[in-house]
Order: sequence, then structure tokens, then C-alpha cells
Amino acid sequence: MDFERSDTQHALLDALGTLLSRHAGTQRCRELAERGAYDHELESELRAAGFLDVFGEDGAGPLEATLAVEQISAELGAITPVPHLLVLPALGLPVPEGPVVLAGRDGSGPVRYGSEARQILTAGADRCVAAELSPDDAEPVPSAYGYPLARVVPRRAEDLAPGTSQTMMNWWRVGVCAEALGMMQRAFDLTVQYAKDRTVFGRALGSFQALQHRLAEVSVLVEGARWLTYEAAFRGATTESSAVAAAHTMAALNRLTRETHQITGAVGLTREHDLHLWTLRLQALRAELGGLRAHRRAVVTSRWEVAAA
Amino acid sequence: MEFALSEADTAFRSDLVGFLDQELADGWNRSEHGLGSAVYTDFSRGFVHTLAAKGWLTPHWPPEYGGGGQGAWQHFVLGEEMWKRGEPRGPQYMNVNWVGPSIIKYGTEEQKKELLPPITRGEVFWCQGFSEPEAGTDLASLRTRADRDGEDYVLNGQKIWTSYANAADYCFLLARTGSVSDGRNGISVFLLPLKTPGVEVRRIDGFVGDHSFNELFLTDVRIPRNCLLGEENKGWDIVRRTLAYERVGAPRYARAALVLDGLADWCRTAGLLTDPGVQEQFGDARALCEAARVLVYRVIDERAKAKEPSPLAYQARAAMVQAERAVGDLALDVMGSEALVEKSPGDAQFRNSLGAGIAAGSYEVQLNLISRLILKLPKE
Repeated sequence: MDFERSDTQHALLDALGTLLSRHAGTQRCRELAERGAYDHELESELRAAGFLDVFGEDGAGPLEATLAVEQISAELGAITPVPHLLVLPALGLPVPEGPVVLAGRDGSGPVRYGSEARQILTAGADRCVAAELSPDDAEPVPSAYGYPLARVVPRRAEDLAPGTSQTMMNWWRVGVCAEALGMMQRAFDLTVQYAKDRTVFGRALGSFQALQHRLAEVSVLVEGARWLTYEAAFRGATTESSAVAAAHTMAALNRLTRETHQITGAVGLTREHDLHLWTLRLQALRAELGGLRAHRRAVVTSRWEVAAA
Repeated sequence: MEFALSEADTAFRSDLVGFLDQELADGWNRSEHGLGSAVYTDFSRGFVHTLAAKGWLTPHWPPEYGGGGQGAWQHFVLGEEMWKRGEPRGPQYMNVNWVGPSIIKYGTEEQKKELLPPITRGEVFWCQGFSEPEAGTDLASLRTRADRDGEDYVLNGQKIWTSYANAADYCFLLARTGSVSDGRNGISVFLLPLKTPGVEVRRIDGFVGDHSFNELFLTDVRIPRNCLLGEENKGWDIVRRTLAYERVGAPRYARAALVLDGLADWCRTAGLLTDPGVQEQFGDARALCEAARVLVYRVIDERAKAKEPSPLAYQARAAMVQAERAVGDLALDVMGSEALVEKSPGDAQFRNSLGAGIAAGSYEVQLNLISRLILKLPKE
């Protein structure tokens, strides 16, 4: 066991950090959000620097790709990092230019970047279904949750090999956890700093034990989510490990959302403050793959071999 | 990052599991009895001899003190497998995990020669004399006194919630050698033989499993100066290091996870495991057990790398409490009145979970320490 980042991981994340500091971040996110746009420039920079190939690379692999997804999301990259870095490579599929969207077995709801997407992968009962998309296949819907959303009706679909559906679901779970980790950490750090700086009734907000305990509990949940996610990636996203990571991460996300907004008070509800850039996007993750209830039930069906209800 | 045990540790686990399957095959029910019950204590006396003969009682101790010189992970695998079986070492886990190691680190040669060999052979029980009626988690306010008198110390005071004191040979005892106003800087550790005149043990019945606590009354208890461990008034440092490991030394999540598996079997038989609401509660409890496991592993990784104990142990401890509580609540929620039957898995887990946030420093104190040491929030 080794819970420290390796030299390779440090080097990879340092390089990614440098790239993201030029092509992502809060300012860039606000500009793109205004137009509801996908960041083609960031995607091509990541591609050129080799970050889209990390999953299958010698000396790196799925865990490193997971760490990269986490960092891209923390910096609010306006791309689709989970299909690009995890799901497509896990299925041995090429990574096309532009957004790729994922849809669940039962899901027909709006998807992130649906109106710009080039491709959609849908998890069937056993096989994945892959379809090319054109703008005619999508109907944008208004939404405040940090990503442009659209309902997508794919045509020209093609079945992939048997068993691909589970592989997709497992890596999607790991990926959505990694995205959540990056964003949860930023929202949390910002809130802890606020609690230190803000004075109320003549003392720092963060000196009230009632709030300290709540922040401490959130930190326990987020750290648990972090290591479960990394472990699931390390284990190759087994059905149980990825469902456990997702069940824990989404529970942490729910609690973190409430606490960060409660503690930052009214200013945390404003557009001028950055908190919402992470917390609203987090709600989009919360909704994927059937959400917390489905993750929890997936834990049970894999752990105790129960047929899905 | 690497999330797998070494081949040697994996092989050790599988040897150990085989050994336990054999040794515990007859009549040992892992979840029925509370630690500290007579059944446990009697069983563990014999069991630890067998374990000692295998070299598995103190495998992580240095060879010169009767250990196997094994690493932190092997030691932890041992603890995990023991807790999965309801800890058949009984109170021995304390001697082995931290009383002995504290003596190895802070003891004189004389203390090591006298006190360590009986522990490695599984011949003695130790108990932990920390809490007092007015000093539980707040140890800095303890009042039991130890006063120098010539070459001796004379102890007066009272200890409470002392598990196993009724069966123990020695107590790892905290007493005040400075003044109360010195707070934590006036406390010393004593290695007290319980048969010393002036020590009286009274039982307090608990309702957690078969567990009993004890009160320890100390009236003019005279012990030689060589019962002091480390330096006078420096006991807090010893305890701080000692407790850092105690917080994660008992892998409670391993037993909680095992009970959860048992409850899943029960629910399957009862036709409840396909119920979506039941499934959600099981999924949550399983995730909490697994989160506790990885957070504890993270602390063991630090230990394996011989780092100073860090505040990460407080997060791990808090996660273990959350896991135990979730499984305890689930048991009562899903089993219905079957959970009320004495010694059923639901009954045992629920009652255990009530104590989870109290032992080894309250849950709230873990949260205080996380706030101060990890999040660096200002003092109240």
C-alpha cells in the first residue's frame, strides 16, 4: 500500500496544472458559461499534450487518468473529461474531437453538452450502444447548473461487444466521482477559508464549535470519497468498488452542498462569489447514473449478488 | 499510489485465515459476546497461548523483545482478521498493540526485562487506567495523585470505566505528579501491578454486550519508583503517541462489515434484500465501512513509513464511528423485533455501536482535533 503520489503522478499533475492555469479556471469558465459553449481549445491542448492518452500509456494508466479528470474538473474545464479520459479508452474506442456524452440504461433526461456532442454512448442491458450525433439530434434545455444541457435522440446506433455496458457504467461511476472530488475540494477549501476570515459577533465564524463539527464531518466524507475513488481506479473499476465509491461520493456531495452554502451565507448565493461555479455543477453529477439511490443499490447487487430490482 | 498488500502480507493473511478457521471452529461465536465478558476473557487466555506459539501474538515487535520483526501492515492484517472474528484475543490486543510498544519505546532495561516476556507469551492481562469520574475524554483534568515518598510513589485517587480491571494483572495508569493547574504537563504514566495493597476493584455493569466496566479505588498504594514509565510529568507525550495508534488500532469497521454481511444473509432469507429501500440502507452502510477502511489504511501507510503520528488518525476514527453507527441502525431498522432478541446480530451490533463514539476519545473530540489540526480553524 502506498497513499502518496508517485514521481510520475506529481510530474503529470504539475504539467496538467500548468496547462489548466492557461486554458481553464474561474474566469474562463464564466466566459464559456455565458455562451453555453464547449471548450474546444482546451480539449485540443489536452490532446496535443498527450493527456487524452494517459489511460493506456506505459508508466501511467487508469489511476493517473482519474487524477487528471479530478484536476480538470477542479479547474472547471468546460469539456467532457470522463468519456475522453476514462470511458472510451476503457472500451478501446478512439477519442473523437468534441464532446462525447453518456446515457444510462434508464436515462432519457437532458445530458451535459448534448447539443454540441459528436457521439453518444448508451448503456444497454449488456452491450453499449454507440451513436454519432449531429446538432439536429439535440434539443437544448435551459438550466442554471453550470453545463449546457440538451435532450438527445440518437440515430444511426451501433451495438458494441457483449459486456461493454458494465465496463462503461463502472468507469463512468469512477469518472463522475473524480469530477466530484475536484469540485468538492475547491468548494470546501473556499468555505473553510471564508470561515477563518469572516467575523461575526466579534469572533471568527470558524471558531464556533457548531460549525467546526460540521466542517470536520464534511472533511471525513470527502477524504473517504477520495481514497475510495482512487482505490476503485487502481482496481480497474470493479463493479463493487466503483459503486461503493459513487455511493460514498454522492452522499458526501449532498452534505457538502448544504454545508458550504449555509456557512458562506448570502454572499455564497451570489454570482460574484465563486462557490456556485463548483456547487451548481456538482448537482449535475449528482443526477447522473440514476443518482445516489441507484449507486447504493448497485453496491448491494454487486456485493451480495442480488438481482437488480 | 498503490492499493494492494504485498505478496508476503497477502500470504500471511491467507495463512492466518486458515489458522483461525481451524482454531475458532468450535463454539466460538464472534458477535454474541462483548469484549470483557467472562466468556471472552476465559477463551482468550487459552487462545493467545496458541497464537504466541505460532509467533503471531507480537509479530510486529522487535526480535530482541520477543517479536517477529514484522512490518506495520502485517500487524494490521492481524488486527483486521481478529476483529472480523470478534477479537478472540480479548483484552490482549491492548498489551500487544500499545502497552508493550510503549514500554519498548520509553521503558528502562529493567522494566523491559520484567514486563515484556510475559506479554509475548500471552500470560498477562493489562488494563488502561485513564478515565476518572471528572476526567474522561478530558484527560488533562485528571486528579489521581502520585506523590514521591523516599524511593517510592504513593498513589491515591479513583479510576473509572476501566474495562478488564477485574481480570487484569497490571494497569497502565495515568496519575498526576504535578499540580492540577499544570494541566497536561503534570501527568505521569505508572505501570501498576494490580495486586498491590490498597487497590480495590469494583464492578459497574454495562448493557453493551456482556461488557462490564470497573472502578479502581487507590488508597495509599505504595509502589517502587521503577513503576514510573519514562520521565516524571512527561506522561502526556507518551499517551499522545500511544492513543494516536489506539484510535485506529482496533479496526472496528472490520467487524461492522462482517455483521453487515450477516445481516444481508438474514434479509435475503427474509425476502427483504430486493426491497429498494432496504438496498439503499445497505449500500450506504457498506460505503461507510469501506470509507473507514481506506482512511484507516492511510494511517497505517504513514506508520509503515515510520512517520510521526498525524491528525489523519482522527478522520479515520470518526469514519469508523460513522460506519459502526450506520450498521447498528440498519440492524434495528431492517430486522424488526428479531433485532431485539438477545445476542442476535442486530442486538449485538446496535449495543456495540452505542459505545463506538465514546471509547478512545469521544467522537466530538475527534471532530475538534480535525477542526484544529487539519482544517486549522481558529480556537473557540
